[in-house]
Amino acid sequence: MIKSIEEYLDQLKAELKDSDAATAQDALADAEEHLRAALVNLREKQPELSQEAALNSVIDQYGSPAETASAYAEVERRTVPQLARESQKTESAVARFFGVYTDTRAWGALLYMLIAFVTGVFYFSWAVTGLATSISFSLFIFGLPFALLFFLSVRGLALLEGRLVEGLLGVRMPRRPLFTQPNLKWLDRLKELAMDRHTWFSILYMFIQFVLGTFYFVSFVTVLSFSLSFIAIPIMQEGLGIGAIYNNGIRYSFPNWSYPLLVLGGFLLWTTFMNLARGVGQLHGRMAKALLVTD
Amino acid sequence: MVDSPIVTKKFQKELNAGIASLVLLSVLEKSTEPMYGYQIAKLLEDYSGDASFMKQGALYPVLHSLENGGLLESKVEPSVSGPPRRYYEITAEGKETLGVWQGVWKQMKSFVDKAIKGV
Repeated sequence: MIKSIEEYLDQLKAELKDSDAATAQDALADAEEHLRAALVNLREKQPELSQEAALNSVIDQYGSPAETASAYAEVERRTVPQLARESQKTESAVARFFGVYTDTRAWGALLYMLIAFVTGVFYFSWAVTGLATSISFSLFIFGLPFALLFFLSVRGLALLEGRLVEGLLGVRMPRRPLFTQPNLKWLDRLKELAMDRHTWFSILYMFIQFVLGTFYFVSFVTVLSFSLSFIAIPIMQEGLGIGAIYNNGIRYSFPNWSYPLLVLGGFLLWTTFMNLARGVGQLHGRMAKALLVTD
Repeated sequence: MVDSPIVTKKFQKELNAGIASLVLLSVLEKSTEPMYGYQIAKLLEDYSGDASFMKQGALYPVLHSLENGGLLESKVEPSVSGPPRRYYEITAEGKETLGVWQGVWKQMKSFVDKAIKGV
């Protein structure tokens, strides 16, 4: 007999321990939402029922923790692994290397690298401002509510970043916010958030994203310019009659025989970078999952 | 052996796998406003009467997968009592898909009926 919704959620969490962390977080949020709504409804209709009897009737209809966990596992198994299946294909190393152009994950990772620069700067400023003002305001009475607002905003940003990571990097992230106890006093909620590792990990992520985002952006722009320059040299020299390098009024040109090598070099450089970007994207996704998703 | 509950349970589960998507899309297409999980479960309870075809908890992963496929979209809104609720709504693509699925279901139904009756 399960005595409370919290107990049900704990059991469900235990059942889901082998499944994806993000799926588990969704499953817990769904169960919490449903059970609370169903319980309130049933107790209004049948007030003579004890809390425990009502809960068990609700759970009977919803499914035991084991049944619910298996339903999520089943659907997840049928629908999600599209990306995983793609990567299982056995191809030669060369085909995999050039196949990067048709891999949505590589293009997604490139886009993510650009966006990470902007989000990184924003996260960093937000985290620094939030932390600094929370600490300095704590001299005054309104410091604590301010800290609560800041922590809540961190939670929200972590969820948004998760959606971005899943959309562009293909790493499964939570689709729903974490549930919190309803009817909690704000001071208790602040305590709960401050004691949660997840909050501090998310803030850490916001700092890391600043460094990584800048690095991603700079590498992206640098490699893209080099690749394009190499490819453009023949066009510059032959088509426009401009030398590749000018120094003190002297024009240096690459010899004609080197054109194919330069174009090929530029193309290979970019292809290598896309392969790297795909790998880095996957690593970044794993880091985001470790820091932003509670286990 | 014939009415072994395990065999029947397995059969029911396999049937549900596809039908749940069809039922959920149909319910959301009929609805004039977005619905949240418990509302949908309640409505299905009314439809099924005393017979219970699937656990309510099994509806949610199907809703997620339909949303992932672009057939549904959802938004989270705070509720007066308890945690925020996720409201689901059918997309244009979902409506189109539902039309096709209803055709498939109709053919399937008449095919199964014929097979059972042996006409």
